[in-house]
Amino acid sequence: MNEALFSNQVIVFLLGESILFALLLVAFVVTLKVLVKWDFESFTPFQFALERQSYLVSTIILFVFILKFILVAYFIFSIDTLASLLPGAMCGAGVIKANDYGSYLLILKFFILFLLTLWLYVHFYDMRTKNHQWFKHKSWLFGLIFLFIVLELALNYAYFTNIDTHMPVSCCAALFGQLEGANPLPFGLSVPLLLVLFYLLYTLLILTLQSGYTILYVIANILFVFIAYYAVVYFFGTYIYQLPTHKCPFCMLQPEYYYVGYLLWGSLFMGSYIGLSDAVSMMWLGKKEMRSQKLVVVLLSIFVLLCTAYVSGYYIRNGVLL
Amino acid sequence: MHGLCIGLLYQKWCTIIDGDFMKKLIPLLIILTVIGIIAVIIISMAKDKQPVTILKNNIEMKALPLKVNFTNDPYCKMLITTERNSVQVVSPDGDTWFFDDPGCMILWIQEKSFRDNAKIWIHAIDTKRWIDARKAWYGIADQTEMHYGFGAREKKVEGTIDFKEMELRMLRGENLANPKIRKKLLGE
Repeated sequence: MNEALFSNQVIVFLLGESILFALLLVAFVVTLKVLVKWDFESFTPFQFALERQSYLVSTIILFVFILKFILVAYFIFSIDTLASLLPGAMCGAGVIKANDYGSYLLILKFFILFLLTLWLYVHFYDMRTKNHQWFKHKSWLFGLIFLFIVLELALNYAYFTNIDTHMPVSCCAALFGQLEGANPLPFGLSVPLLLVLFYLLYTLLILTLQSGYTILYVIANILFVFIAYYAVVYFFGTYIYQLPTHKCPFCMLQPEYYYVGYLLWGSLFMGSYIGLSDAVSMMWLGKKEMRSQKLVVVLLSIFVLLCTAYVSGYYIRNGVLL
Repeated sequence: MHGLCIGLLYQKWCTIIDGDFMKKLIPLLIILTVIGIIAVIIISMAKDKQPVTILKNNIEMKALPLKVNFTNDPYCKMLITTERNSVQVVSPDGDTWFFDDPGCMILWIQEKSFRDNAKIWIHAIDTKRWIDARKAWYGIADQTEMHYGFGAREKKVEGTIDFKEMELRMLRGENLANPKIRKKLLGE
């Protein structure tokens, strides 16, 4: 058995994931039963029992889904602490690349978080209607999410049980820094053009937020997250580390940088998830939430201002850019 | 307090947005921003003509065509100006690097984890085609880009050495770049 499995963080994480999965499994079975036998026109005691069960199940799912957001942050924290066990790893970047499952697991977790945000939206719309108008939509969406969560649990175990603590892994400098002259940026962008694109996409996002061009807003949102990732790793991150050669999305999650990565990535992904969920529920259910638009503006603005503040702060202090 | 400020700012923003003037202006701004984004992407893609250093996804580990005068050697950083005696290394995950001289390749590959599993192609100076570098025969006093002197041949001729011997000599520094060896072999 590998040493990674004896780490406190990994034990807590896997135990937490397993308990939440057990709760979701119960919820999934009950949801299937309710979905098959649901008839809102009926006034039988059985239907009333189903409605009570569906309320209970929704509450369980809501509770689990909120905890899943915390667990993703804890997962990132756990892999970051595992860096001390793996030879060569300096942060979570090396740990996540310790085997073939890590990257897929991380991507899957982020995708599941988007689906969870969408489910929360549908749930809140559903709870506001007297006749549970969106109950079936919500339940089918939960069914889909549950399938992804099964895959995620399997990947969690596959990932943590296959970390070889005796095998050296690459550190972030090798993964993101030493590219032997190759341009890592998409579309052949240079760093100045990447920054132009970053701010243009942010402007487009804010402009399309209230304009009603939902498709354009969705495209801008996805493209912004994509470009923002590269902008943080290959430009803004170097100002967080105050080192032009240090390019890593994980090191900023460490205490040396005041855990700013959690705020940075958290505001970007939450802003994007809320915006996308709002847009998808608009296209799917015809519902739009004004408060979430406000939240998207706040979260994405925090992200952009924080990135910009690091660069401008460095320039003010030193009179030069990196 | 901060929440209130943000709320007030947002309300102010909404008031501005809801104004007739802004309702006409916003689509225009959106169009201009979209044009700007498309222009940046197109300009970047058009300018993406920097020299090649690494090619990805060569999963079949084939010899790829070398873009002469457009490819950099990752070891000596020189632009590769001729196909003659050039080398390409393909790692098991499909990454491909090009070298202007087999000597550069030997020095570069030593610290790579895929050193023994990589496929190495070399452009033979006799048959002028890509051959397996591990099966090639190397002259020891040939004209090569970085003056190490190891010219690859497909067919064995007198005075040539095999890959293992060439690698050993390269690592020992027993090549034409070493003045003592140069004097010994060429009398210069």
